[in-house]
Amino acid sequence: MTHLLAQLGAWGLNGMARLGRAHLLLLPLLRGLLSILRRPRLLLDQLYSVGVLTILIITVAGLFVGMVLGLQGYYILSRFGGETALGLMVAASLVRELGPVLTALLFAGRAGSALTAEIGLMKATEQLSGLEMMAVNPQHRVLAPRFFAGIISVPLLAALFSMLGVAGGWMVGGGLLGVDQGAFWNGMQEGIDFSDDVINGVIKSVVFGFVCTWIAIFQGYDCVPTSEGVSRATTRTVVHSSLAVLGLDFVLTAMMFG
Amino acid sequence: MTQQENNADESPLVRIRGLRFRRGSRWIFDGLDIDIPRGRVTAIMGPSGTGKTTLLKLIGGQLRPDAGSIEVDGQNVHALSTPELYRLRMRMGMLFQSGALLTDMSVYDNVAFPLREHTRLTESMIRKLVLLKLEAVGLRGARGLMPSELSGGMARRVALARAIALDPMMIMYDEPFTGQDPISMGVLVQLIRRLNDASRITSVLVSHDVAETLAISDLVYVISDGRVVESGTPEHLQHSGGEWTRQFIQGLPDGPVPFHFPAPGLREDLLEAAP
Repeated sequence: MTHLLAQLGAWGLNGMARLGRAHLLLLPLLRGLLSILRRPRLLLDQLYSVGVLTILIITVAGLFVGMVLGLQGYYILSRFGGETALGLMVAASLVRELGPVLTALLFAGRAGSALTAEIGLMKATEQLSGLEMMAVNPQHRVLAPRFFAGIISVPLLAALFSMLGVAGGWMVGGGLLGVDQGAFWNGMQEGIDFSDDVINGVIKSVVFGFVCTWIAIFQGYDCVPTSEGVSRATTRTVVHSSLAVLGLDFVLTAMMFG
Repeated sequence: MTQQENNADESPLVRIRGLRFRRGSRWIFDGLDIDIPRGRVTAIMGPSGTGKTTLLKLIGGQLRPDAGSIEVDGQNVHALSTPELYRLRMRMGMLFQSGALLTDMSVYDNVAFPLREHTRLTESMIRKLVLLKLEAVGLRGARGLMPSELSGGMARRVALARAIALDPMMIMYDEPFTGQDPISMGVLVQLIRRLNDASRITSVLVSHDVAETLAISDLVYVISDGRVVESGTPEHLQHSGGEWTRQFIQGLPDGPVPFHFPAPGLREDLLEAAP
């Protein structure tokens, strides 16, 4: 029993220490903005590998999620003769919730895990130590561009996801199920409020981008520099990011729409 | 008086006094005193796990000691602010055991990296310098290759070219001969000595490869259990009467460093019931 309590205590202390180290990393990451402003090329390279390379998975997922929404929405709304509200339902679901949340989850799985593995391997192969000994701060040179690339990419990817989702909903609703196209688009235009829905969705995706990228970078930078350590860190990135996104989504939704 | 003798008269480039450092509850260094003279090749030897790489990281300011001081060129490394430490590091090169090349850059870009980061030289000037550094390590023809296309020996030579890119006052070599074939090892041995003599760089060599290290060193420190066991010229150590040094230098399987890790008697162990 005592052993169990000691283990629980050690687990709690380790968790708190890890959380502390993650917060301590934030300051140099934010300071790294200065070196990015001096050399925007560093950011552009990371925008490509973090953002552009995630476009494919976002495109496919957004389209299919929109198509499923169109299908399910039609079956439910048609029971009440409300098929004309399909456009509004698809757009509101995507812009308010599914766009930011699913994009963040997909981002954590594709780009977040890649960031952790890359940084962890750089640590394991002494590349980060090598940079330090060359008088180059790896937090500014390696971590900060990836951090800001993540924060910039997620809202753009979420916008793409929502846009393609609406297109998918329209293809199924308007194209296959025969919902009136004028009603589909008109309902969406009238029902979606720019500041309440679109801006709040953007705020959510910025927060999710910040958190997911921060977790991914910290896990890579803080990992045990062995193959097993990198593998565990990569898993933690996906699990922690997913839970953080879902938890934060509830908090943000309650604050924005409550 | 030769240049080497002139240098020997000067104060040591690295002065370590009363260094204490521990990992967990184990003391890696417990009162270590070392002087590294300027312009010479100084080797720090000892068996695996004695903290040789840790010592280089302490000298480079990547780790903080629990007690004691490390001065490099008169500056107390661990009392410096971060910008001061980075300025000092620009005058130090380090060759990591793995090479530590940036894997997303070509050989050329790896060597150009410190020049691009720390100087305002034009690209044409950087090109000339990079080609000269690569020529010095015999790899000018490999400038277009990626690190994944290099052998272990080539990767270390590229890392050496990168380490000397800013013409540092000292280079620290972390186990440069480990895992090298005889040809690569011979090339590295020659390179380290030649670079030291040609550029009058201070070289700190950490290794447990006895023959190669003794062949190129001017001064050798043998460390064990967190302290210096013996120091002197390679000739002095080869004829040392110290039991520990003799075991290490001659590679004897048993001696003060026992062959067996501490354990209960074999009989008791074999008769003990399986857990």
